[in-house]
Amino acid sequence: MSFLHINNVHKRFGETHVLKGIDIAIEQGDFLVLVGPSGCGKSTLLNMIAGLDSISEGELLLDGRCINDVHPSRRDIAMVFQSYALYPSMTVAGNIGFGLEMRKVPRKQRREAVDRVAKLLQIENLLDRKPGQLSGGQRQRVAMGRALVRDPQLFLFDEPLSNLDAKLRVDMRTEIKQLHQRLGTTIVYVTHDQIEAMTLASRIAVMRGGELQQLGTPQAVYDDPNNLFVAGFMGSPSMNLIKARIVEQGGLPVAQVATDDSTLTLPVVRDRDALRDWCDRDVILGLRPEAITDPASANHGEGNIHEAELPVALVEPTGADLYVVTTLGGTHVNARMRPGTPLRSGERTRFAFDVSRMVVFDPDSEQRIRDERTAETTPLEETA
Amino acid sequence: MSNASPERDGGARERLQRWLPKLVLSPSCVLVLFFVYGFIAWTSYISFSDSGMMPDYTWVGLHQWSRLWTSWTWGIALHNIWVFGLLYIVSCIVLGLILAILLDQRIRAEGVLRTIYLYPMALSFIVTGTAWQWFLNPGLGLEKTMHDLGWQSFSFNWLIDSNMAIYTVVIAAVWQATGFVMAMFLAGLRGIDGEMIKAAQIDGAPAWKIYARIIIPQLRPVFLSAVVVLAHLAIKSFDLIVAMTGGGPGNATAVPATFMYSYAFSRNEMGIAAASAVFMLAVIAALIIPYLYSELREPRS
Repeated sequence: MSFLHINNVHKRFGETHVLKGIDIAIEQGDFLVLVGPSGCGKSTLLNMIAGLDSISEGELLLDGRCINDVHPSRRDIAMVFQSYALYPSMTVAGNIGFGLEMRKVPRKQRREAVDRVAKLLQIENLLDRKPGQLSGGQRQRVAMGRALVRDPQLFLFDEPLSNLDAKLRVDMRTEIKQLHQRLGTTIVYVTHDQIEAMTLASRIAVMRGGELQQLGTPQAVYDDPNNLFVAGFMGSPSMNLIKARIVEQGGLPVAQVATDDSTLTLPVVRDRDALRDWCDRDVILGLRPEAITDPASANHGEGNIHEAELPVALVEPTGADLYVVTTLGGTHVNARMRPGTPLRSGERTRFAFDVSRMVVFDPDSEQRIRDERTAETTPLEETA
Repeated sequence: MSNASPERDGGARERLQRWLPKLVLSPSCVLVLFFVYGFIAWTSYISFSDSGMMPDYTWVGLHQWSRLWTSWTWGIALHNIWVFGLLYIVSCIVLGLILAILLDQRIRAEGVLRTIYLYPMALSFIVTGTAWQWFLNPGLGLEKTMHDLGWQSFSFNWLIDSNMAIYTVVIAAVWQATGFVMAMFLAGLRGIDGEMIKAAQIDGAPAWKIYARIIIPQLRPVFLSAVVVLAHLAIKSFDLIVAMTGGGPGNATAVPATFMYSYAFSRNEMGIAAASAVFMLAVIAALIIPYLYSELREPRS
């Protein structure tokens, strides 16, 4: 029995069907990140777990107990809001202790609990201030303190970092991760930032249009996307999606891609069995920028490298990497090369394709084309 | 020479541009200076003069002021304005807040109800006073209706009872201003972050505690605005009382404004009337100036 089980949950607001049967199960200590573009229903799902929105259909189980109709205050959860939602008329200590006060915890115990949490979050010197006197990062800490002080079974975070500036956001992200590792709490975290999702999660649920697209570990979602949406949404710069055609060569399927002046043939390594059925049909290839490199930095040990000389359309240095753009299948394709590689647009250079990391999609259904049973089980089946 | 003349032209135009706003505004400035501040100064001077039926510029020092403060009617007027002002402000705020909280529960006909509550504010005090005078008049209104309906023992004659008449004025004034106060509170309630209420729900606070501990403390600026607006309305209240009770029965509902009017225009004591007017101005200024100062200063900080 999993710790939090979201079982075929639907949400309807009148005619609009906001959530269309979400199935997610996580274990105690998991860090689940719900990620997706705005309007995908992730915040609604979080509000339903919190009890702030009703469940139209389906079941919500926390530690084996159905909490569909349990009042938010009796679900043993705590929530951190995007706007922090601190009570402006109370001091920081009052804010953190309010939940305990409402639960009629004696003053002395309350004081001890507040002090303990304040020490954990390093806000001891702020306890007598009002929220209006705090900076964004400090408010964020107080909001987390208010959640932590009650020591609930489940923490809910609703885009908690989106109101912070870029640098503070990275710092707070690290802190949330450390806190999770230290306390071993179970967390459900909503964000639209896929980097936040990748760095924090032990499980990612990618959502779109009220439907779950993929549930799995960050690495599985990144390397083995279920469909074109997940492939394009996760990762920055995003996965290269290249129009190609599968043909048979020597009894094996290969992918043919149009370059500016000729045709590039890439061998197919993954999902070979499934792709046999796709001969002489159009597909979309997915290749991460880091799977297209210069020959020297290619992973010759583990990967399956295929080299080709192609024209350079554009060079984008970022300092850490050099993104080299070429045209494949009519679209710009990002390759990640060593910085300092002397390249200029218009020149030709050798690109190394790690075809062991190549994934293939059906252009019509936008779904992955994959073997029935590969070594990597599909993450959706894993939880079923 | 030739290149000096366009420069001079530009200088003239620039000077005109600099002076034009001042030129345009100066007539109204002069008018306000004369008719508002000029007459304030004139009234202040009259309060130190020997004026009776007509202005008399003989300086008598604080003579009129001491007569004002020893006047028995002025004592009643001051007592009445205290009772009226306090009850008026407190009742309007309490009722307005309750109505606003009830309206804020996402009820269906909110727009209609809000308009209904706000309508009395659209009436002038004269109309309000006259209507309530009819309604509370024992021979015409509520009491007579009840008698006609067969409830012979019903009695509600506060309007003609000199101990109770001031409360009828309070009722009418509260009826008129509550909707306005409600609108102010409603705007304040709408400005409160919904996530904060959700957080309080998760924290386990019951609805009344969410209001008492979290929402109402945040409405402090609205309370301040409501008190200032209502307080100066109370002190200026004149037409309502004239229309409803005429200051009577006897002097039972006299307030400083009716006192001033009757001393200036029917009792030929312009000096005392001027002193009472200056006193009212001072009280209102003491309320409004700190308020305006805090309101106008806020955007800069």
